Amino acid sequence: MLIELKDVNKTYNNGQPLHVLKGIDLSIDSGEFVSIMGASGSGKSTLLNILGILDNYDSGEYYIDGKLIKGLSERQAADYRNRMIGFIFQSYNLIGFKTAVENVELPLFYQGIARKKRHQMAMEYLDRLGLADWAKHYPNEMSGGQKQRVAIARALITSPRIVLADEPTGALDSKTSVEIMELLQQLNREDRMTIIVVTHESGVANATNKIIHIKDGIIGQIEDNRQHHASVFGTSTVMK
Amino acid sequence: MRFDVDSFREIADSLVRNKSRSLLTGFGVFWGVFMLLFMLGGGDGMKQMIMANFEGFATNTCIMASSQTSEPYKGFKEGRYWNLSYTDVERLRQMMPDLETVTPVIASWGGQIVYGSYTASGSVKGIQADYAKIEEPRIKYGRYLNETDILQERKVCVIGKRIYKDLFPDGGDPCGEFIQVGPVFYQIVGVDYSSGNISINGRADQTVSVPLPVAQKIYNRGKTVDLICVTGRSGVRMSDQEPRIREILARRNLFNPKDKQALMILNTEQIFSLVDNLFRGVNFLILLIGLGTILAGVIGVSNIMMVTVKERTTEIGIRRAIGATPRDILSQIIFESISLTLVAGSFGIVFAVQLLRLTETIVNASGENPPASFQIGFWIAVLAALLLTALGVVAGLAPATRAMSIKPVDAMRDE
Repeated sequence: MLIELKDVNKTYNNGQPLHVLKGIDLSIDSGEFVSIMGASGSGKSTLLNILGILDNYDSGEYYIDGKLIKGLSERQAADYRNRMIGFIFQSYNLIGFKTAVENVELPLFYQGIARKKRHQMAMEYLDRLGLADWAKHYPNEMSGGQKQRVAIARALITSPRIVLADEPTGALDSKTSVEIMELLQQLNREDRMTIIVVTHESGVANATNKIIHIKDGIIGQIEDNRQHHASVFGTSTVMK
Repeated sequence: MRFDVDSFREIADSLVRNKSRSLLTGFGVFWGVFMLLFMLGGGDGMKQMIMANFEGFATNTCIMASSQTSEPYKGFKEGRYWNLSYTDVERLRQMMPDLETVTPVIASWGGQIVYGSYTASGSVKGIQADYAKIEEPRIKYGRYLNETDILQERKVCVIGKRIYKDLFPDGGDPCGEFIQVGPVFYQIVGVDYSSGNISINGRADQTVSVPLPVAQKIYNRGKTVDLICVTGRSGVRMSDQEPRIREILARRNLFNPKDKQALMILNTEQIFSLVDNLFRGVNFLILLIGLGTILAGVIGVSNIMMVTVKERTTEIGIRRAIGATPRDILSQIIFESISLTLVAGSFGIVFAVQLLRLTETIVNASGENPPASFQIGFWIAVLAALLLTALGVVAGLAPATRAMSIKPVDAMRDE
């Protein structure tokens, strides 16, 4: 198993203690395309933060590839994030004053890869996603779909073990949403990339192969969705 | 810590992105550095200009003159007049091997000097050849008085610059010409162009210097002299020699060696150290003001970096999420802060150097004063640059600490 969570608990102590995750047990295998679904406040974002080593948990165990992720120093956490995890965010989170190619290069910069090499790698990736012509453009000169594809390129450039996508289509129109989901599907199929999508849209979840429902901090039903029939709106649409 | 060409570009980018803000913040540092260096250079130039007044004057010189006694001594009552004499000169020469030169001066004030239809006013000074060791002449024409002039009691003279200009308005070499001072004609053998503003019995440029024995005879002075000037050998401190000089002169002239009024001693070393102390004080003030201004500028930098960090919370969060360590963030902020202070400071250094050069040109162009150098030293500039780097680090420290404490989660939430 690539990812294993055993009885993970998380409580926020802002004023009134809020028990968000109440014993999460979850395993995800390498090469899976999974979505985590839940209403807002269900704890799915917290779970994503823990999966992405952006936040720590109070009790339980979390393993990536057999490595226990617990009590890491800031430096170690940064290193793991850099090498093992790629993030895709709802609001793209590209750096506004950097061009597309510079944004994609950034994770490699923090790996200490030489300037020429990382530029070349970033260009290759942008080319693969059909954005080679846009490499020198700044994020505010691009459409939402293009920005999200740049963000995907940035997430994938380090060849991470896991890609975490937090509402990747949240800011996109339905047509672009379909394109982005298809891109993720393609990456999963062709590159055997492990992708975890957090969403509250059933259409988005339907594009994935496995749907994990989370409710009130507990894992509910785990749905096998290889047939993509979870959405009532048909297999090829993403409901907005 | 990872650093390459892109890091520099990034820093330049982020400084240029907020042009007016960087400019205004940088100005504080710029002004501080400029003030400090300009005042340091200016102070140094002023010191040189003041020191130029002592030009040609040996630094370890004592000039002594007799005066009324202020204490009764050996049966004499107080208020007695006495005179230095040529015997005292010889005693000092014999008894004080630490003195290099001991030379007497007599003076006659306010004579009119006539050459043809031109007149000038000045004083006559009777000297020996080694007086050149006390007040170094800058001979323009001819030569200074020599031993032979003294021994043969020749009626020759060396005239000062002002007198030369008054008597010979057309210029040219006046040597061999005769000028009349009082009842006597002297032949000019040299012109002394020294322009120091220290005057011993009259300023050098308004003095007619004649051999001592000639002056003694003409002015009917017998063996008495007005002043005795002495210089110490190198390494000899004149203030240490003073008590012994007093003792020697007191024994022969019968006044109390502790009577400061009876024998007045002017020690140039004390004057020089006075000026030195004065400028040490001035320099201290300059440093205080200059460093204070720089510090104010640096605090401004720190403040603005704080704002920048706050503005860029999301960006820093993203960087952290994709693998930047806290140290990467720290170095980014600190290098930005260093760049801001260093660039602004370098402009300050350059501007100060240029303005000092201009000042130097203007001051020296007037030609009234001997040339003074206002420029700051190279190493002072280097030191200033190093100081700026250090201050840049200090300024970046607080904002960088804040930036380090930004968690990626916080940044994502801040949408």
